[in-house]
Amino acid sequence: MKYTESHEWVELQNDVATVGVTNFAQKELGEIVYVELPIVGKHVKAGEEAAVLESTKAAADVYSPLSGTIIEVNKLLNESSELINQSPESNGWLFKLQISDNKEYDNLMDSKAYLAKFK
Amino acid sequence: MRTALYERHKTLGAKMVDFNGWEMPVQYKGIIAEHHAVRNAVGMFDVSHMGRIVIQGEDAEPFLDFLSTNKIAGKPDFTATYTVWSNSHGGTVDDVIVYKKDSHHFFVIVNAGNRHKDLEHLVSQRKNYRVTIEDKFKDEGILAIQGPLALETFAKIIPEVKNLKSMHFLVHGDMILSGTGYTGSGGLEVYAPHQIVVSLWDQLIKLGVEPIGLGARDTLRLEMGYALYGHELSDTISPKESVSSWTIKNKNYFGKDTLENKNHRQAYGVILADKGIAREGYPVFKDGSQIGVVTSGTLSPTLNKAIAIVLVDGKVTLGDSVDIKIRQNFVKAHIVELPFLKKDDK
Repeated sequence: MKYTESHEWVELQNDVATVGVTNFAQKELGEIVYVELPIVGKHVKAGEEAAVLESTKAAADVYSPLSGTIIEVNKLLNESSELINQSPESNGWLFKLQISDNKEYDNLMDSKAYLAKFK
Repeated sequence: MRTALYERHKTLGAKMVDFNGWEMPVQYKGIIAEHHAVRNAVGMFDVSHMGRIVIQGEDAEPFLDFLSTNKIAGKPDFTATYTVWSNSHGGTVDDVIVYKKDSHHFFVIVNAGNRHKDLEHLVSQRKNYRVTIEDKFKDEGILAIQGPLALETFAKIIPEVKNLKSMHFLVHGDMILSGTGYTGSGGLEVYAPHQIVVSLWDQLIKLGVEPIGLGARDTLRLEMGYALYGHELSDTISPKESVSSWTIKNKNYFGKDTLENKNHRQAYGVILADKGIAREGYPVFKDGSQIGVVTSGTLSPTLNKAIAIVLVDGKVTLGDSVDIKIRQNFVKAHIVELPFLKKDDK
């Protein structure tokens, strides 16, 4: 798993990347009450806004860590947005991307570098 | 700035935020759980960032009546009245609660961000009124204990409050115990010196009262359609345009003439028909044209629906549908009567 400065995580299997927000992000946002997911088939660039998490307090943008095409979204979140609070780095994943360039992935932070941010 | 309870909040693991220059708890366990605790049982809030100003003297009653949209003159002793103070240019100085001990002894509770502006307003309008104006900002804190079990829980500490009526208050030693709050769930507020506030907090924690942050305070007041200064009322939003327009009971009051000359907008409650949350500043459309903006919006934890207060131009009536632009999408919403929460919902 790799991480971004804006607290997204991404897991790469072959050329499919699964994206979500970190446990730290979830804690900072508070209870997520609604999720706006991207449309399947949409092309996003790395760093582009791809989803919106609505908490009880505010709306927060989620940026795509990588460039690619959205191939699947976590439909469970439409009814159970609390999955992001309960399981941000597993069942609370947001979307999957078909990517074309592995270099972007290599440039992201590993868990050691991400955790070092909080020291 | 920090209240006397700052260390308590930190120890309880509260998430702290800046609120008008104050480091205040936005939540402890979570906004939704805290919201339900107040609606269903009892919770307490540190609202020491709000301020108390004492106004006394022969003309205290006509002076406060002159400044207030709501009628202050002739109110019974030991009652509290919610009112708005209009400014001289079609906006609002603050929304406050005016407390009457007797016709010569009053005090007001004012919003955190407006404390000094309110003091200046009082002093500048005093003119020939024979009154003294003294703030208690440094010496006192405020605790709000709210919910259907608030009075009976607090009565374990001070039995006298058991029969405290809504919008009435009593004086108990150095404490003022008031049947007010801003949640719509009943309860009381305590105005007292800092050390008493801290001691009451500790006793209430021992009695199992949940601490509640400003996050749930906002969802609670919004479900009731209550104004929050800076959102539904401001320097440029008049009392008449706001959800607090019901307070306008005085024929004459400071700032009235300037309001009547203005082209009025009006505040309404809306419930979203589709998914999404309407946030402050989002534009509101009707038949393709923008007619106003959202002033506050959230997901109502009690109704589990997205609710918002909008400030719009032109004619809309209850039941009308409008469109709220949430980022790139238009989401349908219906104009509803306030409060959002009806008696049966609680």
